[in-house]
Amino acid sequence: MPPQSNRYTFMFAFAVCVVCSLSLSAVSQGLKAKQEMNVALDIKKNILKAVGLKDPIPPEAKAQEVLAIYKQKIEEKVLNSQGLFVEGKLPSDIKEGEGLSPLYVYKEHGQIMAYCFPIVGKGLWSTLYGYFALESDAVTVRGITFYKHGETPGLGAEIEKSWFQNNFKGKKIWDAAKNMLSPVKVIKGKVADSVSEENAPFHVDGITGATMTSKGVTAMIDKWVRAYEPFLGQIRQREEL
Amino acid sequence: MAESLFSRKNKKVFKDGLWDNNPITFQILGICSTLAVTTQLKTALVMSASLTFVVAMSNVAISLMRNWIPSKIRIIVQLSVISLLVILADQFLKAYMYDVSKQLSVFVGLIITNCIVMGRAEAYAMANPPWKSFLDGLGNGLGYSGILVIVGTIREILGSGTLLGAPVIPQSFYDAGYINCGVMVIAPGAFFLLGIIIWIQRAISGYAEDS
Repeated sequence: MPPQSNRYTFMFAFAVCVVCSLSLSAVSQGLKAKQEMNVALDIKKNILKAVGLKDPIPPEAKAQEVLAIYKQKIEEKVLNSQGLFVEGKLPSDIKEGEGLSPLYVYKEHGQIMAYCFPIVGKGLWSTLYGYFALESDAVTVRGITFYKHGETPGLGAEIEKSWFQNNFKGKKIWDAAKNMLSPVKVIKGKVADSVSEENAPFHVDGITGATMTSKGVTAMIDKWVRAYEPFLGQIRQREEL
Repeated sequence: MAESLFSRKNKKVFKDGLWDNNPITFQILGICSTLAVTTQLKTALVMSASLTFVVAMSNVAISLMRNWIPSKIRIIVQLSVISLLVILADQFLKAYMYDVSKQLSVFVGLIITNCIVMGRAEAYAMANPPWKSFLDGLGNGLGYSGILVIVGTIREILGSGTLLGAPVIPQSFYDAGYINCGVMVIAPGAFFLLGIIIWIQRAISGYAEDS
C-alpha cells in the first residue's frame, strides 16, 4: 500500500484510535476502585466541613482518621417526601425516583448539633455539588461547602474558598417575624452596602465577576431548602413547644 | 550508529530546552498554565512532573512512529498520542493524589493544548530518532518545570507566607505589621514575576529579538 494513499491514511488513523481507546479503557478500569474511594472520602470530608465540627479535622489527617471521625459523629438518615425518617435505609441505598432524600445528622455526645443535606444546581458553566448544614434549630445556617464544580478559577470557583463559605455561617433560612421561609440569598456586591439591617441575616456577599454563579448558588439553596422543608418545619415546631 | 547515549551532541539536545531554547523564557510558550498553577509550590511541582512526563513520552512515541505517520494527518495523530498521555496522567493523579488533582482542576487536561508539547512533537520528534527525542522532551519539560518552580516558590512565600504549606515567615513579622503580598496570589503577580525572570534570563544568555 503506498503510504500517501487514502486507504493507508484511513487504516493508520483507525489503528491509532483502537490503540488509544484500548489503553485508556484499561487504565480507567484499573484505577476506578481507587478513584471512587477518593471521591467517597472527599464527600465525607465535605459533610464534616459543612456541619462545622467542634474540633475541625486537621488538613493532614489520614483517610482512616477521617472515616473514624465521620462514623463517630455523623448519623446517616433517609427521609421520605413527607419529611419522615425511613428506618433501616441508608443514603447509599436511595435509588432515583423513589422520592427519598438523604440527611446527615451531626451529633456531639448524643446531642444534635446540625442537620446536613446535599445541594445540587447549575452555576454558569457547570453543575455545582455541595452540602448545606443547618443548626439544630433548623433556622440558622451552620455551613456550606462545594466539592465539585467547573466554574472559572478566580471568579465562579471562589465558591469553594473559605471567605465565601464562611459568610453563610449564622445566616437564616426562616423569617420568624413574617413566619415564612426565606432561604439565604447571594446578592451582587456587599450586604453591608445594599441590604437593610433587618434583612441582612437572609443575604450574603456576592462574588465580583461571578454574578451567574452567585445566582446559581441562590437558586440551589432555595430549591433544596424548600425540598427539605417538610422535615425542617417539623423540627422548628418541635423547638417551639 | 556508534554515537554514545550521552555524547556531546545529545547533551546539547537536552540542555537546549533547559536554557538556550527554554520553552517559557525563550519561546514564550505555556504561559497560561504558568500563571494559573503557580500560587503554591506543590501544584507547580505536580504540574511540572505531569508536563515533563507527557512531553518526553509523546516525543518518544511520535519519534517511533515518525516514518509511518501519513503527513496529511500527522497533527491529529500527534494530538491523539498527547491526549492519551495527558488523560493517563490525569487518571493517575485522581487515583493517587486526589487533593492536588482537585486543585489543578482543568489545568492537567489543558496540557493537551500546551504548545510546548505539540511544538516539540512537530518540530523535533517528527525528524529525529527516539532517544534524541526523549532527551529533547525531557530538556524542554524540565526547562518549563524550572521556571514553574521558581515562580511557584516566590509566589507562595510572598503571597501566602508558606512553602509547601509550611509557614516560613515568622509570626513576629506579622506581629510587627507585615502582611502577605496579595498581588502574588492572583495572576498578575505571576505575570510580573515571569517578565522579570525572562529579562534576567535574556540578560545572561545575551538573546535579543530582531528589531
